[in-house]
Amino acid sequence: MFGRFRVKKLIRSNEFVIFLILLFLSLTIGAINPAFFTISTLFDTLRSSIVFLILAYGLLPIVIAGGIDISFVAIAATTSYATHMFLLKQGYDGGILLYYLIAGGAGILAGLLNAFLVTQFKLPIFDVSLAMFTMWYGFNLFFVGATANFSLPKGTVGFYNIFVFTAQDPNMGETGLHITVLLALGLGLIIWWFLKYTTLGRGVYAIGGNREVAVRSGFNVRLIFFVIFGIMGLFSAIAGVTQAFLSRYFNPVIFITQPLDVLAAIILGGAAITGGSGSIIGTTLGVLVIQVINRALILTGIPVEWQRFVVGVILILFTSIPALRNLRAKRMGHTSQLTQSD
Amino acid sequence: MTEESTPKVTKNSQVTIFLKHLHIDGQTLLLTGVFITLTLFFTFTVQKFFTPRSITSMAFQLPELGILSLAMMITILCGGINLSVNATSNLAAVVAGLFLTRMIPTEVDPNLLGWYVIGAFIIAILVGFLCGVLNGVMIGYIGVPPILATLATFTFFTGISTGLTKGVTVTGFPESVSIIGSKTIAGIPIPFIIFVVFTLLTYIILNGTPFGFKTRMIGTNPTAAEFSAVENRKVLLGVYVLSGILSAVTGILVMSRTMSAAYEYGTTTYVLLTILISVLAGVIPGFGKVIDIFIAVLILQVLSTGFHMLLTGVRGSSFFRDFAWGILLIIIFIVNYFVRGRTQND
Repeated sequence: MFGRFRVKKLIRSNEFVIFLILLFLSLTIGAINPAFFTISTLFDTLRSSIVFLILAYGLLPIVIAGGIDISFVAIAATTSYATHMFLLKQGYDGGILLYYLIAGGAGILAGLLNAFLVTQFKLPIFDVSLAMFTMWYGFNLFFVGATANFSLPKGTVGFYNIFVFTAQDPNMGETGLHITVLLALGLGLIIWWFLKYTTLGRGVYAIGGNREVAVRSGFNVRLIFFVIFGIMGLFSAIAGVTQAFLSRYFNPVIFITQPLDVLAAIILGGAAITGGSGSIIGTTLGVLVIQVINRALILTGIPVEWQRFVVGVILILFTSIPALRNLRAKRMGHTSQLTQSD
Repeated sequence: MTEESTPKVTKNSQVTIFLKHLHIDGQTLLLTGVFITLTLFFTFTVQKFFTPRSITSMAFQLPELGILSLAMMITILCGGINLSVNATSNLAAVVAGLFLTRMIPTEVDPNLLGWYVIGAFIIAILVGFLCGVLNGVMIGYIGVPPILATLATFTFFTGISTGLTKGVTVTGFPESVSIIGSKTIAGIPIPFIIFVVFTLLTYIILNGTPFGFKTRMIGTNPTAAEFSAVENRKVLLGVYVLSGILSAVTGILVMSRTMSAAYEYGTTTYVLLTILISVLAGVIPGFGKVIDIFIAVLILQVLSTGFHMLLTGVRGSSFFRDFAWGILLIIIFIVNYFVRGRTQND
């Protein structure tokens, strides 16, 4: 009995629907072009997902707490680019770790600034993040530099080419899974643990569910906001540095068009835009769906100028499907079962 | 004499009532103050700032962003958001532009040309209407979260524009298209007049019709609205259709001023700028005033032109403007917080 109940719950969960969508997409694309089912495509898709996963993991707690933030991309760009320009000036030629340390520290500070403004002046998270988005990109471009920089320190040159393991692909020759996949995995696990097993993490859900109730139940809302914004800043900085070393150049306006894509991936993965729900697995699947749509479309032979159109159609369909399910459930009168997920 | 003898308190409250009647409150006064301060600042620091020429050029530039902000504002008012405003505006311009460049027969009667141009504008509005219907159905009837629905349609609309034009900018319109974007009436640029007209129209719709009232009700509390016999779905459809039409009007202004239509016009900044203006104007679900949007657009334009002139010769002055926008927003938020706090204590 218990087992059957669990299976039913699993099938009803949003994560499962997203998983089916991902499966359906992959099979369709694979049917059109079997080249999709190769290890190199898998590794490529994963590689392009890494930074978006890190960004999404950093943003997830804030979304669960009921906030929408778009400044994380600006923080990623400013911290990574400014760190690079600073170290370049110092003549640094060591490894990549120092990049993560400096950028990470700056990222945390930038995140805490958001948290301070939000809690001290009782401002909406989105409004603050919008101001910070404009401010940080403006700051980066005006005060730090406005051109992409390609000169990497000696100690970091081989980094883009370090693989967890490599495989022999029949078409592409040797291909590898990049080491930063482990980084994304580790960061995902940390957030998973934080959200599920710490009091602060449970408080994040409580705030998203009902902030007033969370305050009355004794959650330290101020502290929780500082922690989740700190996480956001840190993860953004890590994502910015990682992206720079994967693509082998530092870009001052990196991710500028993508904050809403990351947010959409999280919402697609089952987090409610109003807060209170959302999961690491859902977010991961959401990011993968969007990456598969974007990357694998090239393999289907659709003319380049119509690809975006196809992405749009797919997005419209796949955002409507979960909503239609909810609509039907509402008519049948058990909406509460579907909106809950953890 | 009788007026002077009235107690001070009553006189004060009369002023308050009068201001309330005009829908002027702390936010509007604050924004007006910021606008005047900035204008004065740039007038004294930049020689060429307060001249007819620069004012006219500002009046030509700001209507596009202004009408697009109205399109954004009404969706925020009903508790949503419309990320596809700019994509809608581009699609409308692209379709109208393709009609003008491909559908007009080569040996056309010059007298008929004007009708073709008017036809193209009507087509643009129709495209905006259809885009709005798609958004409205997804959000109102299917129940997709607005941010997700309009992000999907943003990609979809941009995709259609890209596909139709093969990514190339559409040019070669009849001369008469440029009338709207480049001529003046009594010294006032036509785009600015159109902006004022649409601001007034939006004001009337939001403040003088049951539809506007229902829109704000849904923004405040959708469940309560539903139980108060408001047909949420229909109202939401209406809001997004209106938003689509306003976006299409922006598209017409853009194609008329630049004499071209492109899928990528303003893609990276326009949507966020319209949100920024709405936030600056203090628009939140259920509450927000059209006049504040109008002043916020003026502020942004003054800041933009002002810094552009002040930093002439400095590399990347537009980046400094972005930086200043962010700082200004934060300052206004904080001032607002203290103003709000004081009135609450009274």
